[in-house]
Amino acid sequence: MKLNEARLAFMSSSAESTASPDRSFFWRRLHSVSGVFPVGAFLLEHLYTNSYAINGVEAYNEKVRGLTELPMVLILEIAFIYIPIAYHALYGVWVWWRGDGNVTHYPWTGNWMYSLQRWTGLVTMAYIAFHVWEQRFAGVHIIENYFVAFSKVQHSIARPAVHAFYVVGLLSACFHFAYGLWLFACKWGFAPGRAAQKKLLWACAALFLVLSSAGLMSLRSISTAPLQPRPEELLKMRSQKSVARSQGPEAAGKRSAF
Amino acid sequence: MADSKTVEIRIKRQLTPDGPSRRETFRVPLRPGLNIIGALMMIAENPVTAEGRQTVPVSYDANCLEEVCGSCAMVINGKVHMACSALIERLDQPIRLEPMSRFPVVRDLQVDRSRLFRDLQRVKAWIPIDGTYDLGPGPRMSQREQEAAYHFARCISCGSCLEVCPQYNDQTQFVGAAVLGQVRLFNSHPTGQMNAPERLEALLGPGGIHECGYAQNCVEICPKDIPLTQAISEVGGQVMRHVLLGFLRK
Ligand code: FES
Repeated sequence: MKLNEARLAFMSSSAESTASPDRSFFWRRLHSVSGVFPVGAFLLEHLYTNSYAINGVEAYNEKVRGLTELPMVLILEIAFIYIPIAYHALYGVWVWWRGDGNVTHYPWTGNWMYSLQRWTGLVTMAYIAFHVWEQRFAGVHIIENYFVAFSKVQHSIARPAVHAFYVVGLLSACFHFAYGLWLFACKWGFAPGRAAQKKLLWACAALFLVLSSAGLMSLRSISTAPLQPRPEELLKMRSQKSVARSQGPEAAGKRSAF
Repeated sequence: MADSKTVEIRIKRQLTPDGPSRRETFRVPLRPGLNIIGALMMIAENPVTAEGRQTVPVSYDANCLEEVCGSCAMVINGKVHMACSALIERLDQPIRLEPMSRFPVVRDLQVDRSRLFRDLQRVKAWIPIDGTYDLGPGPRMSQREQEAAYHFARCISCGSCLEVCPQYNDQTQFVGAAVLGQVRLFNSHPTGQMNAPERLEALLGPGGIHECGYAQNCVEICPKDIPLTQAISEVGGQVMRHVLLGFLRK
């Protein structure tokens, strides 16, 4: 009798100690909330900044200048943009890989949205990787040379395939964010009722329309503006100007003598 | 009965849990109001395939024949349905029958739904009232909450919501909508409420509520029209509050 009790006690204690705590709830919910903040918040900021392209080259470049002049810009970028997006993207791939989409068998709206949310996530991820590499890291450095910002985008989307990728990437990102917001409200229990969920879905659809049309308009302003000199040329022009300035009144005087 | 109509039924068969599967076609006379279970009974009476080959009766689970026991769910024409309430006249022919795909097959159309029952145990989907002395009457439940809870009490544990769930698989170990519906039910019950923290804790573990992808197939397929997505949302909120408040009170 006693032996049995001891054995039971031992078994239950060893079962407790060997069970490693499962943190999947935490990581999955972190994925969910990171999509709203900071990733979603950054998307809104980014679309807002880009919309200055509608006001022209100068307005756009000035807006970019404002961002490059933020204090500790590199730390802000890493903490609020790179790490959250990388986490959201990689964990999202894991989520996608573990699910068994069955929309061909059960083609209901919610199931379509489930699949679309995964596809748009993957497309957005590919797009962001390309976009960040090309605009942030490749070519003329944008943080040190804000004045090439407009030209850099314009020359990038001058290639039709890239332009198309921008449109697809933009729509994917806006869809993924708008529907993700709805999913967030439903899963975290903010909107449990059927009627509330329906209304919220309409609001998110409207948000998708607003965001994607703002993005498309900005894109159109960039592609239809008079073609700017290439970023490299802009950089050269700028350095010539500053050389001329640094040579002082003598140089200026020489020029005026001509 | 040469003049009467017949229906063709193609059934996926499997003699043993790990054995190979094959299809067999049967013809049964069409009677008014005939359902799938009725057709399977007719096949059992005369287990001969459409090609005239003698075979063994088809195994399946069924009990109540009125869509309340939940044992007869199977995939009918590619979609999960209760066999006892699936009327032959309303189905496209030839009719294709398969066992549910998310549970291990026992034999033919019979599957092992133990995982569902294990998960119900995991979340303590009951109200503990047994003891060594009389606990007296429990607290009163408001009329309003009775009406809200009634929907969730109608669950028949058929597993349809799990069959259609894209997140219900071995990898995620997701408990699924049926179980979350029961958590909603027992957590709102005045006596069941006392064990709510334990149920919510269980949903924080492997296969817990976070595995839900909110595809909402569960609520579409549910033969009892249980507002499952609402339950998932409400329980999701309960789990979040439990975690956040628990963290702050530590
Ligand atoms: S036999 Fe009971 S639900 Fe179909």
